[in-house]
Amino acid sequence: MNQQFSIIKSIKKIAKDFYSMTFSWVSKEIPVPGQFITIRISEKNIPLLRRPFALSDYNPKKREASMIFQIRGVGTEMLAQKKAGEPLDILGPAGTAFKCDTSGHTIIVAGGIGLGPMLFTASYLQKQKKPATFIFGCKTSEHVPATRNFFSLNPVICTDDGSLGFRGTTIDFLNKQKTEKNCELFACGPQAMLKGCHEYALKHAIQCYVSLEQIMACGVGACMGCVVKTVHAPGYARVCTEGAVFNSRDIAWI
Amino acid sequence: MDLSITIGKKTLKTPVCVASGTFGYGSEYESLADFSSIGAIFTKAVTLEPRAGNDIPRMVETPAGLLNSIGLANVGVKKFVSEKISFLRNFDCAIIPNVAGSTEEEYLQVVDHLESCDDIFGYEINISCPNVKKGALAFGTNPAMVESLTSQLRAHTQKPLIIKLTPNVTDITAIAKAAENGGADAVSCINTLIGMVIDIHLKKPVLPMGTGGLSGPAIRPVGVAMTFKVSRAVSIPVIGIGGIMDAGDALQYLLAGAAAIQTGTVNFIDPAVTGKILRGIQQYCKREKITCLKELRTLMRYSA
Repeated sequence: MNQQFSIIKSIKKIAKDFYSMTFSWVSKEIPVPGQFITIRISEKNIPLLRRPFALSDYNPKKREASMIFQIRGVGTEMLAQKKAGEPLDILGPAGTAFKCDTSGHTIIVAGGIGLGPMLFTASYLQKQKKPATFIFGCKTSEHVPATRNFFSLNPVICTDDGSLGFRGTTIDFLNKQKTEKNCELFACGPQAMLKGCHEYALKHAIQCYVSLEQIMACGVGACMGCVVKTVHAPGYARVCTEGAVFNSRDIAWI
Repeated sequence: MDLSITIGKKTLKTPVCVASGTFGYGSEYESLADFSSIGAIFTKAVTLEPRAGNDIPRMVETPAGLLNSIGLANVGVKKFVSEKISFLRNFDCAIIPNVAGSTEEEYLQVVDHLESCDDIFGYEINISCPNVKKGALAFGTNPAMVESLTSQLRAHTQKPLIIKLTPNVTDITAIAKAAENGGADAVSCINTLIGMVIDIHLKKPVLPMGTGGLSGPAIRPVGVAMTFKVSRAVSIPVIGIGGIMDAGDALQYLLAGAAAIQTGTVNFIDPAVTGKILRGIQQYCKREKITCLKELRTLMRYSA
């Protein structure tokens, strides 16, 4: 974990409301899939806190990292206005990772803006020539990123309205597939989707790892603000430190 | 120039400290903070038993502010002594645990436990946390209870006792005087302000407890005003807290009469801020041709 004074290399709109940003990576610590950074978007106190973003890629040759973000409020709106060449105040890499050392098959499920860390995970596994199925779900075809990087991962696309690929949710799709025994599920996306993944994993007795989201203040484990409920004592775990990637069986699903 | 400040019979190397609850147990900031500039680390609140903390969500951002309801989540005093103190020893910063409890007895027991640790500089007594059902704030809003608790704690320790004041009272100077009468060596001024954010779609507060404690630049003018008042009402040092983001903000507190300051919410945003603040204070003093921090408050051209 370091504070990095980085430079924005590019910001591109890749789908409706979705942006991809690439920036220089200063830290000696190499980020791995599932890890995140926090960005100080403004020095003018609004927004006040840093905003957390999962990394979507790391290029060791260029020493550049990327992330995908969606315009959700003032902070992300300001971020989308930034230009290549502008400085970027980053803390990271932070949090736990998707363990990509599995010998079996990996099912990767991404929902909406949960795409970022799953893109990183899928391309990481692809580089290691490990078998994986990459499933991406979103509302309509407008939200499907038009990038070569995304399509090179042979994604299964699920849209709620059926405007592209499978009509239905990623969980609907999962339930229609034959399950392999020696496989693991990695997921990031809306709460309902993650809970669906967890239930799927329980039903098929496979491991499931999920990347969770929570409002965050420090992003380093100090403030105890970003906790989620767990099934173990003391009943809470910090998303920034014990997560963001958790074994789904550790989470107290609501 | 001399940047040290005296609290009780002891000295802090600089007037720039980090506030309880915003710096964990220090180790979280190992690779990020500028420890050489920090006079004292006021740790996450310590209670007798571990506390899991409040229901989620625990935080919501407000205009230039942060509303939190953490609920004193901490490892408990035993684990604090056995696991958390050792890291803090690595640095030349005073270690000041923030002590919280539900009863007078619990405060005394926590301090008794901590007394075995030579590395501890002193105690900040948290009688002002707005986010727990029992204790804390109830103590902090009643002058008689503040004086009683302070004097009992005084009998249990020779180390500096710092009482952390709540702004959620009609007259903060009455509480500060009660702390002084009880034998406190300093007061921290201020803790968070009670606030509420309502989700108009769900038609209920965002925080499960209803209210939370507001911090950040939004509360700075409140902190400065209360520091100004308190520092004229008591003769013990006042440690100014509330929304400090940079050296200019810290100087407002020092001019208002604070002997030292604590950075809080800003630690989340700019973890190396203490060094910048200390350098800014030094530059200001040099420009104003003062050689001792205590002279700073004499520069004020206003008396109320």
